Amino acid sequence: MLATFKRHWWSYLAMAAFLLFLILLPTQLLGEKTSILILIGLYSMVTVGLCLLMGYTGQVSLGQAAFFGTGAYLSAILSTRYDLDPWLAMLMAAVATGVFAYIIGYPIFRLRGNYLAMATLGLGIIVWILFKELSQYTGGPDGLGGIPNFSIGGFAFDNKLKRYFLIWSFAVCALLIAQNVVRSRTGRALKAIHGSEAAAMSVGINIAQLKVKIFVLGAVYASLAGSLYAHHLHHISPNSFDFMASVMVITMAAAGGLASIWGAVFGAATITYISQDALVELGKSQPKLAELDVVLYGLILMLVMIFLPKGLFVSLRDAFDSWRQRRARKGPVT
Amino acid sequence: MSSSILETKVLSKAFGGLTAVDKVDLSVEANKITSVIGPNGAGKTTLFNLIAGVYMPSGGEICFQGKPLGKAPPHKRAALGIARTFQNVLLFDNMTALENVMTGQHPRSRYGFFEAALRLPKAHREEETISLKARQYLNLVGLGVYADRNPLSLPLGQQKLLTIARALATEPRLLLLDEPGAGLNVLEKQGLSELIRRIREMGITVVLVEHDMDLVMGIAEWVIVLDSGQKIAEGTASQIQKNKRVIAAYLGDEEAIE
Repeated sequence: MLATFKRHWWSYLAMAAFLLFLILLPTQLLGEKTSILILIGLYSMVTVGLCLLMGYTGQVSLGQAAFFGTGAYLSAILSTRYDLDPWLAMLMAAVATGVFAYIIGYPIFRLRGNYLAMATLGLGIIVWILFKELSQYTGGPDGLGGIPNFSIGGFAFDNKLKRYFLIWSFAVCALLIAQNVVRSRTGRALKAIHGSEAAAMSVGINIAQLKVKIFVLGAVYASLAGSLYAHHLHHISPNSFDFMASVMVITMAAAGGLASIWGAVFGAATITYISQDALVELGKSQPKLAELDVVLYGLILMLVMIFLPKGLFVSLRDAFDSWRQRRARKGPVT
Repeated sequence: MSSSILETKVLSKAFGGLTAVDKVDLSVEANKITSVIGPNGAGKTTLFNLIAGVYMPSGGEICFQGKPLGKAPPHKRAALGIARTFQNVLLFDNMTALENVMTGQHPRSRYGFFEAALRLPKAHREEETISLKARQYLNLVGLGVYADRNPLSLPLGQQKLLTIARALATEPRLLLLDEPGAGLNVLEKQGLSELIRRIREMGITVVLVEHDMDLVMGIAEWVIVLDSGQKIAEGTASQIQKNKRVIAAYLGDEEAIE
């Protein structure tokens, strides 16, 4: 136990600092920009689910926004039209999305590489069209409004600061669970599938089942994030869950380093900041540039894949590690 | 042959018009080192892939420990106790050498998603056992000092030993080695022979496909010869070396008639 702690002391320290930072950030540092921090938490959840699938297991999904959307819509519909408690609505949405992912998972993971990419792309587009066209349930292109807040007993999450803590509690749990899975027998099996499917099978890994399992986990993460999103913004529309939303999540994962849990947070933070803050500010003075985010995602994806295939976060961390090792080696001499 | 661990009965595999394995009956005795030899394209690797479950037979069946394997997929066969290595190594380059071997423990550990996600004590206990055993297998093949290295940073000979350690970590009854000696130097081949004998002493039946005749003749207690998908001979190493059909298969018919 102590040995594990010693080996990971740096990551424990980083995590403690991270948590402290999370608490101080909205209250002390960035009062009015809490909305952006909330979005970062939500996208971190979606991104980390995708990282497990893409970075660790090596399976592409271009339709992650579909699950984010089903979580948001199911939660919204159940809590507005059927007057269910938001917590129950979120739970039911997560279960339904998980079952949906499980059912489509088996046929979809018979495919590999480009074909898998095409199939998940199709999935994302079909689900998005359903959001738009099933207007008697979803409100069509205008979306759904009047989605209630979460509340526990008499305590309602009725302002941004309260929801910030609620959403980041979920995000931190999701990240910790992902980290635990990655550092386990299951995590090794995921990486084995990425390394060589033939060899993975030969050591007793049921690769078809495991791919579907991790796909379901990613879908449930996205669904929970979607529900939190709906109950946070109180209004949702199909545009938040279109193909570009899936591309944005992939860009976040790539920027963070596909096979890195904490990189997912870094990627989500960077991209959310750029699209929700920097570009919005820029758009105020030069309205034409506000639509620049789509171009930027493409550019970031290209640059990261060409120059930093491990992602921005992982490359920075590796550089830091080798700097630390160099210093440690110099240490005894002086 | 009451003590056979593996039997194939009129086993065939056809790819389109090509019959890679043609009505092969063979029996592998438990606790022996058996070698399958034959010229290129004789169907040796296809035979391995049939036993490991990568391919399903076009005809006939395979029995392991007396029970037909049927359509069991590779991962189930690994759990039953059939392990293998690959001609083209296939190590996991996204993990360390030790983690590669730890992956081999997959069918011998139980804890799943849920225990892993919450880091329950069961997961902790099993992880300790897994890493302990993996270290033992890594030491057995002599790679203990390279535990934290990326497998692709090791020379080919050591990569091949690492795949054997990974296969052993599945705790098999039967170990299939596909050309373990290819690309190894003389010294490494000696070490490999010793290792294979030690594996046999652990109670594991070894079947190897190999081109290096010195290696085969040195360690194999039973040799099965395939040619064009058919079994043309079997016997002890010295019997095989004198067998006319075997010599013909390797050298071409004319010389054999001489």
